[in-house]
Amino acid sequence: MRIVLSLWIMSVIYAVLYIVPPAEGLGNLVRIAFFHIPVAWVSVLAFLLSAGWSVQYLRTRDIQYDWKSSAAASLGLLFCLLATISGAIFAKLTWGAYWNWDPRQTSIFILLLIYGAYLVLRSSIQEEKDRAKVSAVYALLSFLTVPFLVFIIPRFYFSLHPEPVINSAGKLEMDMIMIYVLLAAVGACTALFWQCFSYMVQNKQKSF
Amino acid sequence: MPITRLSLFNRIWAIMMKDGICEFRTRYAVSALLMFALISLASISMAIGAARLPEDLTAALLWILLFFCAMAGLSRVFVQEQESGTILALQIYGSGQAVLFGKLLFNTFMLLTLTVLIIPLFIVFLNIEIYHWSIFLLVLILGDIGIAAASTVTAAMVAKTQGKHALFTVMTFPILLPQFLSSISTTAKILMNVKPDVSDIMFMAAYNVVLMIASSILFDYLWYD
Repeated sequence: MRIVLSLWIMSVIYAVLYIVPPAEGLGNLVRIAFFHIPVAWVSVLAFLLSAGWSVQYLRTRDIQYDWKSSAAASLGLLFCLLATISGAIFAKLTWGAYWNWDPRQTSIFILLLIYGAYLVLRSSIQEEKDRAKVSAVYALLSFLTVPFLVFIIPRFYFSLHPEPVINSAGKLEMDMIMIYVLLAAVGACTALFWQCFSYMVQNKQKSF
Repeated sequence: MPITRLSLFNRIWAIMMKDGICEFRTRYAVSALLMFALISLASISMAIGAARLPEDLTAALLWILLFFCAMAGLSRVFVQEQESGTILALQIYGSGQAVLFGKLLFNTFMLLTLTVLIIPLFIVFLNIEIYHWSIFLLVLILGDIGIAAASTVTAAMVAKTQGKHALFTVMTFPILLPQFLSSISTTAKILMNVKPDVSDIMFMAAYNVVLMIASSILFDYLWYD
């Protein structure tokens, strides 16, 4: 399994560096997107999963769900940091500044704040059941703000962020080869996330 | 002693009055909040001197001031119960919803009192002009309710942690942020003599309602073991 995954990741890296053609307007900078988009996708996925397992924990009070929720959140924070950094580098190279509180940057920053607060909260409660309960409630409560941030912040500022890959018209504005490589990269990133995640959860189960 | 069953409204009222009486006896939270607000306001005013700030900056300063004052005092409703060991009795006698909304009302009341004291000083120190008083008051009330709603439920969460006060601010900020941003932009409009849209006010009210419903649902999980 691990060998397959590492071969997969290496071939994606090769494809991104040598096969993908430079994009119109962006040139070679487009290659950053093949790192940025999968990482950002995984951080959102991890956040969703963490909230889902929090609901499961509150309903069943099974401590296993708490381990899953916290493992997903800590990996989510890592991927979110990578997405923020790669996005900031891309912003410097194309817009001329690392950070300018673009709506996307604001929302990813808030995601970082929420993950950070969640992990600090976890580390500051000793008793296992209290920790599981309180952090599950916090994960769900902070999850509530996400739709508001998606709808409210774009009203205040205008965004320089490129359109999402699948834009509102529903058509893909990319080379076929780019789409295939991007899908492979998203798959590789998700598989990497899942591998780390199950490793963390198994570690917890062993030490239990 | 006869067993009396109170309606939900009466139970909420009882919790609020209890907190009010405790606060009246010690007057700790009110005085701490007020002194905190005063030194923050004075430091802003001294730092800028006689310079006139742009309106959007003034609005941001007002809400930052209110937010950090709230963070200095509002966690007390649950932290105090935990520290003095009365939280167990409250868990036995008070139902979750009554405790949440009683404490929420108390916090809102505290914050509104603080706002009433701060706003005249703010106007005097920073030399600002308020054009639409009624809308300004409405925005202040809605913003205060929002801060109280977000901080009451996070106060219940931090009560069992170590390093409560620093954590309280860290946890409340992301939850409050949508409300915070729209309060600042609406206040900035009022200070610039632009009438805010109905949608701005509606957004703040809707966010308060959503926040209260969510805390009401989640609080039972937090309160009962």
